[in-house]
Amino acid sequence: MKMQLPGLFLGLALLAALSSCGKQKPNSKLLLNEVLVTNESNYQDDYGQHSAWIEVFNKSYTSADLAGWLIKCSCTPGDTTTYFIPKGDVLTLVKPRQHTLFWADAAPRRGTFHTNFTLQADKAIWIGLFDSGQALMDEVTIPAGALKANQSYARTSDASQQWEVKDDSADKYVTPSTNNRTIDSNPKKDKFSEHDPVGVGMAISAMSVVFMGLLLLFVCFNAIGKASVRSRTKHKKKSLQALDERKSAEAAAAAQAAIVPDEVMAAITLALHEAKGHGHDAERAILTIRPTEGSAWCDKRQNLREVPQRK
Amino acid sequence: MGEFINFLQNNLADFWTYTGLYNASVGHIIMILIGIVFIYLAVAKEFEPMLLIPIGFGMLIGNIPFNMEAGLKVGIYEEGSVLNILYQGVTSGWYPPLIFLGIGAMTDFSALISNPKLMLIGAAAQFGIFGAYMIALALGFDPMQAGAIGIIGGADGPTAIFLSSKLAPNLMGAIAVSAYSYMALVPVIQPPIMRLLTTKKERLIRMKAPRAVSHTEKVMFPIVGLLLTCFLVPSGLPLLGMLFFGNLLKESGVTRRLAETARGPLIDTITILLGLTVGASTQASEFLTIDSILIFGLGALSFVIATASGVIFVKLFNLVLPKDNQINPLIGNAGVSAVPDSARISQTVGLEYDPGNYLLMHAMGPNVAGVIGSAVAAGILLGFLL
Repeated sequence: MKMQLPGLFLGLALLAALSSCGKQKPNSKLLLNEVLVTNESNYQDDYGQHSAWIEVFNKSYTSADLAGWLIKCSCTPGDTTTYFIPKGDVLTLVKPRQHTLFWADAAPRRGTFHTNFTLQADKAIWIGLFDSGQALMDEVTIPAGALKANQSYARTSDASQQWEVKDDSADKYVTPSTNNRTIDSNPKKDKFSEHDPVGVGMAISAMSVVFMGLLLLFVCFNAIGKASVRSRTKHKKKSLQALDERKSAEAAAAAQAAIVPDEVMAAITLALHEAKGHGHDAERAILTIRPTEGSAWCDKRQNLREVPQRK
Repeated sequence: MGEFINFLQNNLADFWTYTGLYNASVGHIIMILIGIVFIYLAVAKEFEPMLLIPIGFGMLIGNIPFNMEAGLKVGIYEEGSVLNILYQGVTSGWYPPLIFLGIGAMTDFSALISNPKLMLIGAAAQFGIFGAYMIALALGFDPMQAGAIGIIGGADGPTAIFLSSKLAPNLMGAIAVSAYSYMALVPVIQPPIMRLLTTKKERLIRMKAPRAVSHTEKVMFPIVGLLLTCFLVPSGLPLLGMLFFGNLLKESGVTRRLAETARGPLIDTITILLGLTVGASTQASEFLTIDSILIFGLGALSFVIATASGVIFVKLFNLVLPKDNQINPLIGNAGVSAVPDSARISQTVGLEYDPGNYLLMHAMGPNVAGVIGSAVAAGILLGFLL
């Protein structure tokens, strides 16, 4: 056991080290995903106005609530405006893998999704997303003059690390309230269709994994089984040894007590009696068993019963 | 008065358009007949009655014709209907893991633990899945559909439903019915293949009696099994997690009530709901297609391939095993996860050739390995294709 414990800790440490090898991703479910600063003819709000907007994306597969969160914006150092996302609006609950748009129009009375600040295109803009505990969850800085009218600054695809300018060209188009990259195919399926039309690749790779999984189990339980058998044999040997020891101890104790059976004692007494000349001719004893007389009804012995015992 | 009679006539005529008699089509009649055949097979031949009775009766329920445009909310595909609500356990995939919980709680893995090399037979038999996958691709199905069809070869109904609900929901009815039908037909499909691929000498091989397995080993199995398989294939977690959890409930020895519920009332309830709704999902308008017929053909092929690959693998395995520790190839068929039917087939066929050779306990090893193997294979297909 002393030898096994360090091994166990070493294994756990190795597992922890391996787990931490991957790059740590932001912990927040909700991320800033796309920002459009100068809206001339892009997406309109529910008042028919073209205003700047900030898109928030829920990257998780569960709903996430923005109520009580803060959006902070700073266009000049030391001058940060904070917008408190109101509580009590069910629409602040962002569904899994969905987007929500905030209008930066400095008109918070227009509704939950209208902030109290605007964005200025000629200055570098810092936007931060804070949770209800005021912890920074995500931030982005849009370089000064990086965006022209109707262009957005967005992650290359939803929740990716890279940001780019979406200039509304064919492959980089502005995507308010929708995926930054339109998913119009299943890349995995397409890959298999293209490279493995017969299915041999799938069969080989999948069967390898199936075999590997069950082979691991085999190796593991082979070892466990052997260890178990070994331990059981060892245990059995020990108990046999203990039994032998107990038996020999008992025999020794009996010898010590020198218990002589009554028959032996009688035979010895008779032999001594004869040796002293008290004996005469051999005599025979006959044991006779006679059937009982009368029926079982009158035989006392038949009526004797064992007293019932409560167990 | 004439107007009133006219009103009555119109009313009755209107009612007539709502009746099953008015809306019946040839497809409905065919599906109802298939349902009756299923019930007959279950009652008269005792082919998987626990599955075929609910599925067969579900087919009758699902194929009662009605006016689909009336918005009656009675059909299984009409959102908000009772049948649709029950069917959500299938479409969202939560019935199969619960079935696996029950399977875990009723399965004794001792045979496998005592002779772990039998696990490899369970892996080999999964080739049925990928053989069918290749044939499905050749027949023009796309990779996701082919994966969902291929899983029929795993001979595992819940796994087939789980995977098809993710990869090809539109084919799920046909896949589920096909998987369960062939599981019921294991006694018909497997023995000829087993006889064909083995020699008389091989069929007479007597295997060493399995050793006694300690309680510690039995408790360790679900824990180690879960960690090893799910670290490798996390996408198999819903099925494997529940399977091993159920087994731990059984083997821990301290959760007897939970284990009994999982392998008793819970699995029975889910089996009823699953069977009935899968049967009802075979609504003729959705089910009677060329694809369904192809799926049935591919399902049969996948069972044949799985059985053959299990048997052939044992024969090859015997080449490297010592002479005194050979495996009877008749247990190769049990690598498909139709528990315990395929293991019983091994026993029955084995006894035909040697009345003193009891293979059941040995066959249970690959059989339960097949359950793990098919769940792992489903996880791989999900990971590769979704």
